Amino acid sequence: MPQQIRRLLVAFAVFIALFLVLRYVMIPTSFGEYGHYRGRSLEDNAAKPLQFTGNSSCIKCHKSIVEEKSRGHHAGLACETCHGPALKHVTYADTLPHAKLPDSLLLDKPAERKNCALCHNRNMARIKFRNDTVNISMIKQVDVMKHNLVDKNNESLKCIDCHFPHDPY
Amino acid sequence: MSEKKDKTSRRGFLRAGLVLAGSVVAGTVLKPFNGVVVAGEEPKGDTPWYGIGIDIEKCIGCGKCAKSCKLENNVPMEPFFFRSWVEQYTIAKDGSVKVESPNGGIDGFKQELPDDQIFKSFFVPKMCNHCSKSPCVQVCPVGATYVSPDGVVLVDEKYCIGCRYCIQACPYGCRYLHPAKQVADKCSLCYHRIKKGIQPACFEMCPTGARVFGNLRDKSGPLVKFLRDHNCLVLKPHLNTGSKLYYNALSGEVR
Ligand code: HEC
Ligand code: HEC
Ligand code: HEC
Ligand code: HEC
Repeated sequence: MPQQIRRLLVAFAVFIALFLVLRYVMIPTSFGEYGHYRGRSLEDNAAKPLQFTGNSSCIKCHKSIVEEKSRGHHAGLACETCHGPALKHVTYADTLPHAKLPDSLLLDKPAERKNCALCHNRNMARIKFRNDTVNISMIKQVDVMKHNLVDKNNESLKCIDCHFPHDPY
Repeated sequence: MSEKKDKTSRRGFLRAGLVLAGSVVAGTVLKPFNGVVVAGEEPKGDTPWYGIGIDIEKCIGCGKCAKSCKLENNVPMEPFFFRSWVEQYTIAKDGSVKVESPNGGIDGFKQELPDDQIFKSFFVPKMCNHCSKSPCVQVCPVGATYVSPDGVVLVDEKYCIGCRYCIQACPYGCRYLHPAKQVADKCSLCYHRIKKGIQPACFEMCPTGARVFGNLRDKSGPLVKFLRDHNCLVLKPHLNTGSKLYYNALSGEVR
C-alpha cells in the first residue's frame, strides 16, 4: 500500500473515532426513545407547575358561595374564570389554616363593570339566530354603557350593586 | 445496423414499461398509497390520541381562554405573545371581511360597525391545531419539537436552538419566540394538566362549554360525540397538515 494512502486511512480512522466520541457525548441518552426527539422532554413538559385548581377545591372553605352559585344562572361558570388562578391560594390556606392570607395570595374580586362586560356587553357576534327566528345566543346581553349606569341620585352603579355575582338575580 | 438497434430498443422499452407498471401495482398492493387525508389519522396503539373541538356558535368572545392560558403557562403578557387567542370576524353587507383581535381578546371586544351594516359576525378562538403531520415538526433541524405518543405537539425547551424555522412553518401562526428563554413556545395542550387527568386551562375556564377536549380513540367520549353531532371542519384543509382541531359552524372566511 502506498504510503500516502496509509496516512489517509489513519487520518480517516482518527476522524471517525472523533466523530463517534463527539456523537456519544452530545446526543442525550433518551434521544430516539419514542421518535426523533429527547424522550425525557415528555417528562419535562408534564412536570410544569399548575396554576388553576378547578372548582371542586373551593367547596371546602367557601361552602356558602359554592351553594349560592350552584343555584343561580352562573352555575356553569368556573370560580377561577372570574377570580383567577387559585392553586397557591388553596395550598397556602390549606397548610396554614389559621394564618391570614398574604395580599399576594388573595384573589381578584372583579367588581367593576368592565369585568361583567367581557361576557355580557351587547355585541352582534354574540347574538345568534337559527332560521332568523330561534334565538340560540349563549348569553343574555345588555349595553353596558346604558343598562342602569347611574341611580336616582346620579351616582354611578356597579353591576354587583343589583346583581350578586354568584347568583345574578 | 441502426434499424436493428431501433427494434431491440422498442422491445426493451415495452418490457421496461411493463416491469415498471407491474411494480407500481405491486407497490400499491403492498403499501396503500397514502394520499390526501384531510383529518389526522390516528396511529396504531392504545395510548390516548388527543383532539380538540370548538363550537363557534357557543363562543361569546370573553377572552377567558386566552387569559387563563397566559396565566397557566407563564406566557409573557405583552399583546403579541399568544398560545391561545380569540378573533372577532365581522362580515359587512358590502362583503368586506374584518378580523380583529385586540390583545387576543383578553380585554374584550368592541363592534365599530353599526348593526344594520353587519351581515354576519362571530368569534373564532384560535390555538395550536396539534396536527398529526405538522409542518413545524418537519422543519425542526435538531428534533426539538415533536408529536408526543398521545398526539400533542410539544417543544423541548432544553434542546431548542431558537432558529425560528418552526415559527415560519406553522400555517396557523401558533408559535412565537419566547423573549426571555429564546426558545420557540407554543400551546402544549397543557400537557402538565392532561397528564394529571385535568382539562387544559382554557377548556376549564370557558364559561359556555364552547370547547371540547377529548381522546379521539374513545368512541363514546365527549369529543367523538361532538364530532358526530356537528358538521365539523378543520382550518386550511388543503395544506394536509392533519389538524386535530375541529370547528363547528366554521365560515369560509376564516383563515
Ligand atoms: C383551605 C381553605 C380555602 C380554600 C380551599 C379556598 N379558599 Fe378562598 N379564601 C380562604 C380564606 C381563609 C380567605 C379569607 C382571606 C381573608 O379574608 O383574609 C379566602 C378568601 C377568598 C377570596 C376573597 C379574597 C379577598 O380579596 O377578600 C376569594 C375571591 C376566594 N377566597 C376565592 C377562592 C376560590 C375561587 C377558591 C377555589 C379555587 C378558594 N377560594 C378556595 C380560604 C380558602
Ligand atoms: C361572574 C364571576 C364570578 C364567579 C363565577 C365567581 N365569583 Fe366570587 N366574586 C365575584 C365578584 C365580582 C366578587 C366581589 C363581590 C364584592 O366585592 O362584593 C366575588 C367575591 C367572592 C368572594 C369574597 C366574598 C366577600 O364577601 O368578600 C369569595 C370568597 C368568592 N367570590 C368565591 C367564589 C367561589 C368559591 C366561586 C365558585 C363557586 C366564585 N366566587 C365564583 C365574581 C365571581
Ligand atoms: C365569563 C363570562 C361571564 C362573566 C364574567 C359574567 N357572566 Fe353573567 N352569565 C354568563 C353566562 C354564560 C350566563 C348564562 C348562563 C345560562 O343562561 O345558562 C350568565 C348569566 C347571567 C345573568 C342571567 C341572565 C339570564 O337571564 O340568563 C345575569 C343577570 C348575569 N349573568 C349577570 C352578570 C354580572 C352582573 C356579571 C359581573 C359580576 C356577570 N354576569 C359576569 C357568563 C358570565
Ligand atoms: C340598578 C340595578 C342594576 C344594575 C346596576 C345593573 N342591572 Fe342588570 N338588570 C337589572 C334588572 C332589574 C334586570 C331585569 C329586568 C330586565 O330584564 O331589564 C336586569 C337584567 C340584566 C340582564 C338580563 C337581560 C335580559 O335580557 O334578560 C343582564 C345580562 C344584566 N342585567 C347584566 C348587567 C350587567 C352586566 C350590569 C353591569 C354592567 C348590570 N346588569 C347592572 C338591574 C341592574
